[in-house]
Amino acid sequence: MSLVSKLKETIICLQAGRVTLPYPHVPATPPAGFRGRPIFNIEKCIGCAGCANNCPAREILVHDICQEIRIIQYVGRRCTYCGRCADVCPEKAITMSPDFENATNDITDMQQRLELFMGTCQRCGRCFKEPTPLEQLMMKGYRLDEVDKERWVYTANAYLDKEPTVRDIEIELD
Amino acid sequence: MSAHVVLKQITERFTSVIQRTDVPEDGRLFVYVEPQALRELCRYVFRVLDARYVISIGLDDRPISGKFLVAHDFAFDKEHVLCSILSYLSGNPPRVDSISDVVPAANWAEREFRDLVGIEPVGHPYPKRLVLPDGWPDGVHPLRRDYPWDAVPAGYDESRTFDFDDPPEGCVVVPFGPFHPTLDEPAHFRLFVDGETVRGCEYRGFMVHRAIEKLGDSVLTYNEIPMAAERICGICGCVHNVAYAQAVEQAAAVTPPPRARYIRTIMLEIERLHSHLLWVGLGCHILGFDTLFMQCFRIREPIMWIAEKISGNRKTYALCLVGGVRWNITPALRSELMGVLAKLEQEWRPVVDAVAGDRNIQKRTRGVGVADAALVKSAGLIGPVARAAGVDIDARRDHPYAAYGDVEFKVITQEGGDVWSRLLVRALEVFESIRIVRQCLDHLPEGPLQATIQDELPPGRVGLSSVEAPRGESHHFVITGENNRPRRWRVRAPTYQNLQGVPAMIKDQQIADMTISLGSIDPCFSCTDRMEIIDVRSGAHRVYTQSELLQLTRGQTRTP
Amino acid sequence: METSLAVRVLSGGMNIALVLALAPLCEGILRKVTAKVQSRQGPPVWQPYYDLLKLLGKEDMESGESPAMQRFASWLSLAAILTVAVLVPMGTIPPMSGAADAYLLIYLLTLCGISTMLAGLAAGSTYSLVGMSREMMSLMTLEPLLAVAVIIGVVHVRSLRLEAVLDGSPYAQAGVPLAGILMFGVAILAFQALVGRLPFDIAEAETELMEGSLIEYSGPKLALFKFTQMAKLVVYGALVVSLFFPWGSGLPAPLNLVSLLVKLVLLVLVVTLVAATHARYRIDQAIRYYGGLLGASLVALLLALYGY
Repeated sequence: MSLVSKLKETIICLQAGRVTLPYPHVPATPPAGFRGRPIFNIEKCIGCAGCANNCPAREILVHDICQEIRIIQYVGRRCTYCGRCADVCPEKAITMSPDFENATNDITDMQQRLELFMGTCQRCGRCFKEPTPLEQLMMKGYRLDEVDKERWVYTANAYLDKEPTVRDIEIELD
Repeated sequence: MSAHVVLKQITERFTSVIQRTDVPEDGRLFVYVEPQALRELCRYVFRVLDARYVISIGLDDRPISGKFLVAHDFAFDKEHVLCSILSYLSGNPPRVDSISDVVPAANWAEREFRDLVGIEPVGHPYPKRLVLPDGWPDGVHPLRRDYPWDAVPAGYDESRTFDFDDPPEGCVVVPFGPFHPTLDEPAHFRLFVDGETVRGCEYRGFMVHRAIEKLGDSVLTYNEIPMAAERICGICGCVHNVAYAQAVEQAAAVTPPPRARYIRTIMLEIERLHSHLLWVGLGCHILGFDTLFMQCFRIREPIMWIAEKISGNRKTYALCLVGGVRWNITPALRSELMGVLAKLEQEWRPVVDAVAGDRNIQKRTRGVGVADAALVKSAGLIGPVARAAGVDIDARRDHPYAAYGDVEFKVITQEGGDVWSRLLVRALEVFESIRIVRQCLDHLPEGPLQATIQDELPPGRVGLSSVEAPRGESHHFVITGENNRPRRWRVRAPTYQNLQGVPAMIKDQQIADMTISLGSIDPCFSCTDRMEIIDVRSGAHRVYTQSELLQLTRGQTRTP
Repeated sequence: METSLAVRVLSGGMNIALVLALAPLCEGILRKVTAKVQSRQGPPVWQPYYDLLKLLGKEDMESGESPAMQRFASWLSLAAILTVAVLVPMGTIPPMSGAADAYLLIYLLTLCGISTMLAGLAAGSTYSLVGMSREMMSLMTLEPLLAVAVIIGVVHVRSLRLEAVLDGSPYAQAGVPLAGILMFGVAILAFQALVGRLPFDIAEAETELMEGSLIEYSGPKLALFKFTQMAKLVVYGALVVSLFFPWGSGLPAPLNLVSLLVKLVLLVLVVTLVAATHARYRIDQAIRYYGGLLGASLVALLLALYGY
C-alpha cells in the first residue's frame, strides 16, 4: 500500500539525520593515497625523463639545451592526475600530493620547472647527478646572471615552440 | 571447444568464400571472408544461428595490406563465443554491402564508418551523417591513416545545417535538447508530438565527440590508452579501462596474474554499485521525487570514499595497465571494504522494500518506455534494458573475464520491459554485486599485481573484449601494431546500442514520459553551443560564431 | 455590524502586508523542512526573501512573443492574489464585509489561474505552450472545487455576504453537517494541487518541461510570479482555514491572528511532508484525480441543497 511505503521512506530519511559536510568552512583532507597534484622534487630527480615518456596527456616536457643542461617542465594544464609519472620514476622524486584545490587563473601556479645540470661522465661524456644543481653550475663556472648563458634557456623555449601543443608557454624577456 | 562448434556451423555453408579462420582461444573466433559474401554470412549468423549483434568496425589498413578492412562483431551468448567477421576491401572509395537491412542494429555503426573511414555501405536504409559535424567537408575522413590527428579540415562550412526529416502529418516539432535540465550531456531528440503524445522522433547526437579512437591509434601508446579509455564515460570509466586492457591481453597472449584479475573484478563491481545507486536516485529525480534521490546519493557516498581510498580517486580509478593492475587491496582496505558493503546492504534493503510497494512511483513507471524482447533482438539492446524485457544476457556470465568465472552470482531478469522493470533490475543487481565482491575478497589470491612483459607485443593481432558495464555490454576491438601502439582501437559503449532503441520506446507515449524513458536506459552521452554576448555598456549584442568561440577558448591561457 | 471605511481600508492593508511578509517565510519553512527530510542542511529560512530581492534587482529582459502581455500577466497574477487576500479574513474582520460578495471571490480566484495561463501564452515558446495547456486542464478541474466549497457555504447560511460565508459556513447546519465534512475532505485532498506543489506541480515540472509557462521569464517579472506562488500558499491556506477551521477566529485580537498563524504553519507543514514524499504525477493521472474530487464535491453540493 502506498501510504505504508511512504511512511517507510520517511522513516529511512529521518533516521539518517543531516549528512551535509561543512566543507569549505572546514577543510577536507583526502585519504592517504589520494592522487592530487604531482609534486616534483628536484633534489631527487636524475633527469631520466621517464615521467615525460609515460605521461598520457603529454604534459611533461623535456628539452636538452646542451649536453649538460636538461629542462623538465610540468605544464599542468591537461594533467589528469593519473599518477603514471610517480609510478615510473626510479628515484621516487614525484609524489601525488593531496592537493585538489587547484583552480587558479594563472597557469604558472601549476607549472613546475626543473632545470637540471647533468654532470658529465668522464668516460662517455653523458649524465650523472651531482650534489646539488647549483653546486654543479658553480663548478662548471656557470654564472646565473650572465645574460648570454640565459639566452640558452630562451633558445630552448623557441625550440619548444615548434611543439604545437605548447605555444602558450611564455618566458618573459627583459 | 565452443568456438570450434560455431566455426563448424559457419564453414559448413560458406566454405568457398572463407579466406581464413582464427581461433586464438576458446571464446574467440575470427573469420575472414570475401567482401561479396559478407552480407549473406552476417544474415546467416544473425538470423539462423541467432547470434547477438555487437558492433561494426571500419579501418584503414592501407599502410599494411593496401586495403580497407570491415569487421562485424557478433556474440554467441549461449556458446560463450565472441566472433568477428572481417573482410578486406580494395579500391578507394571502398564499398561494402550494408547489413543494416538484415541486422537493424548495425544502422549506426555503418553510418559511423561511412563518416569516419569513408567506407560506403551500399544499400543502407538511412545514409545520413552520424558522427561528423554538419559543416565538415565531404570526402574528408578523419580515421584514415593519412589524416593527422591534429588537423583542421579545409573547407569547413559553418553555415551548413543538418537535413532534418519532416514531421508526420498533424504533428508539431518539440525539440528535446541539446540543453535540457534532465540530460547531463547534450543530445538532440526532435520529437514529433501530436497533443501530448509522441508520434516519432529524430535523433542527432555525437555533439561532444572527442576523437578518442584517433588518439588511440595515432598518439597514445599501449599503457597510455587506459587513461584515455576511462575518460570515455563519466560513470563507468573502469569498464573501458579493463575492457581495453583485456582486449590487448587477448591479442598479445599476455596473462594478468590472478590477484590482478580479482582486483579488477572487485573494482568493476564497486563501480556497478555506485552506478546503479546513482541511477535509481536519478530516475527518482526525473520523476520529481527528490527525497529518494537524496537518500540514494547518501547511501552511495561511502562507496565513493572507499574507491578513493583504494585507487586514489572517486571515479577515475586509473586501474589497469596491459598485463595487470596498479593498486593493491591491503588487509586494512579489505576489512574496510567489507564494512562498507555490510552497511550498504543494510541500508539499501529497506529502500528497495519501500520502493517496491510504492504505488506513486509505479504509476509513473509501469507501462512506460516499453522495449519488448523483439525490439531487444532487432536493435541489439543490452544490459538492464534487455534483462528487464526477460532476455537473459550478461557478459559476466556469457563471456567470463577477470575473475567472474570463479564467482557465483545470479543474473537478475524481470518480465515487463518497462521503466519499472529496469528500476527493479538495477536495484536488485546491487545485492548480487555485493555478493560478488565478498566472494572475491574472501578468495583474493596472493601474488604480483602485474605480469612482466619482456618483449614487444606482436603486431597485427586482433583482440576482442566484452565487459559488462552497469549499462550493458561494453565491447572493445583492438588490432595491435608497431611502435608500442595499436593500429586500431574501436570502442562500443553500451549506450551506443541502447540509444538506437529509444525512438521505438518513446513512440505513442506522452511527452511527460519522454525523460524517464530516455533516463531508464541510463544514458551516458556530453556539450557546447553558441554563446550570445551582450556588451552591458554599449547595449550592443552579437552572437559569437563557432569559429570565434573556438579562437576565444583556444587562445585562453590566462583567464579571464 | 457596519464597520467604517477607515477600519476596512486599514484591515485590508494589514492583510496585504501580512501576505507580503509571510509568504516568503512560509516558503522558507517549506524548503527547510524538505531539506531536513532529505538529510541535508538546506537553505536558511530567509532564503526566499533573498531570492526575490535578487530577482528584482536583475535586468528586465524582454524575451518571448509579446513582452507587453508578459509584463501585464506578471502584474496581474500578483494583483489578483493580493486582491483575494483583501477579501479573506486573516485574523481580523473581513475587510470587505458589506462591500463584496462570494461571487467576487470566486471570480478573483479564477483570475489568479488565468494569469498564469496568460503568462504561458504570452511567452509563446513550445515548452511554455505545453505548460499552458497543462495549466488550463488543471484549472478547469480545480477551480470549480473552490467555487463549490464557497457555494456550499452560501447555501447553508443563505447569504452571499463574505463575513457570513467565510466563517465556517459549510458546517452551518443543524445536526451532522454531512456536506461540510465531505467538502472538508475534498478540500484537504485538493489543497496540494491548489497551491501547485508536488505531486501536482505539473505545470512547471522542471525536469520535464523546463519550467513550463514561466520559461521566458526572468528578473523582476519572474520575481512577481514567484511571489504569487508563495502568496498562494498563504492566501489559499487562509481561505481553507476560514471555511473549514474557523475555530479561534472569534477570539479577541491579537489572539485570532495567532490562531490563524498557528493553523497556517500546520498546513504548510502538511503540504511540505506530502511534497517531500511523492513523485510527480503525469497530467492525465492528475486530471483523473481532480475529476474524482470534483465529483465528490458535486455530491456534497447536492447534499447541501437538500439540507444536509
